[in-house]
Amino acid sequence: MRTIQRAHLRGVLLFAFATLVLSGCAVRLIGDYDNTIDNGVTDLQQKAELYFSKLQSSPMTPYDQSFYDDINARLAVLKSRAASLPKYPIILQQLTNLKSQFDTFQKLDKESSRPIPAGIVTAAESAISVSVESILKLELALKARGKTTMPSVTKARQ
Amino acid sequence: MALDVETLAENMLGAALPILKKGAEDVESFAKTEFTKIAQTIVSIGEQLTAGQINQQQAGLLLEMQTSASRNVLLCLEGLALLAVEEAINAALAVVKAAVNTAFKVPLIA
Repeated sequence: MRTIQRAHLRGVLLFAFATLVLSGCAVRLIGDYDNTIDNGVTDLQQKAELYFSKLQSSPMTPYDQSFYDDINARLAVLKSRAASLPKYPIILQQLTNLKSQFDTFQKLDKESSRPIPAGIVTAAESAISVSVESILKLELALKARGKTTMPSVTKARQ
Repeated sequence: MALDVETLAENMLGAALPILKKGAEDVESFAKTEFTKIAQTIVSIGEQLTAGQINQQQAGLLLEMQTSASRNVLLCLEGLALLAVEEAINAALAVVKAAVNTAFKVPLIA
């Protein structure tokens, strides 16, 4: 089984190599690091954490529509940016999932009587935090890639 | 000098495999941490429902949020895997650069 896997991987590498040499292109399977998305998601998390802290320390805090308007506007801008960047479907989908999480939490927040149960806030905060970390983890990995020197493939001279 | 396919392939594999293994280790570590958080939250939601602190609809919505979190972790893993494969291919190219350039007598790989 292991021998088959090695043989398969070797074949894939040879194929990739031949393709690269013939096409004259460097390997780029995913888009570049984007500072705007990195900072935008970090700002978003900061705003969300502030709202969650407020709900936890003062459970009588009323539902705040302006918080969701702000989050939605920021997410719309980030999604537009991700959609316009080449090879960015993964982060675009992550932002879409994050938006869906905020929509769900908005529904919970709006429909929950006060004091809002602490467990709701904690569980929602945890889910959103995991999503934010997943986006930032990928962005930081893309940033690290930019710092390493990769060989480039040039077209063969005639 | 002619290129030997077997030697070339072995050299490329030797350069690529350690990167793929390292990538897999990083991915495993991240996935383990994040999935543990999600699992703990799911257990907590169940306990709150049982204790009557939240109702069934609220529990359902909170679980929906955990599902989205899981999707985002998996998407991150997909991205990290792509980066590892990309790095592995480029490392393989770097290892055989000299051999290829010598064999073809042109700087095919800069």
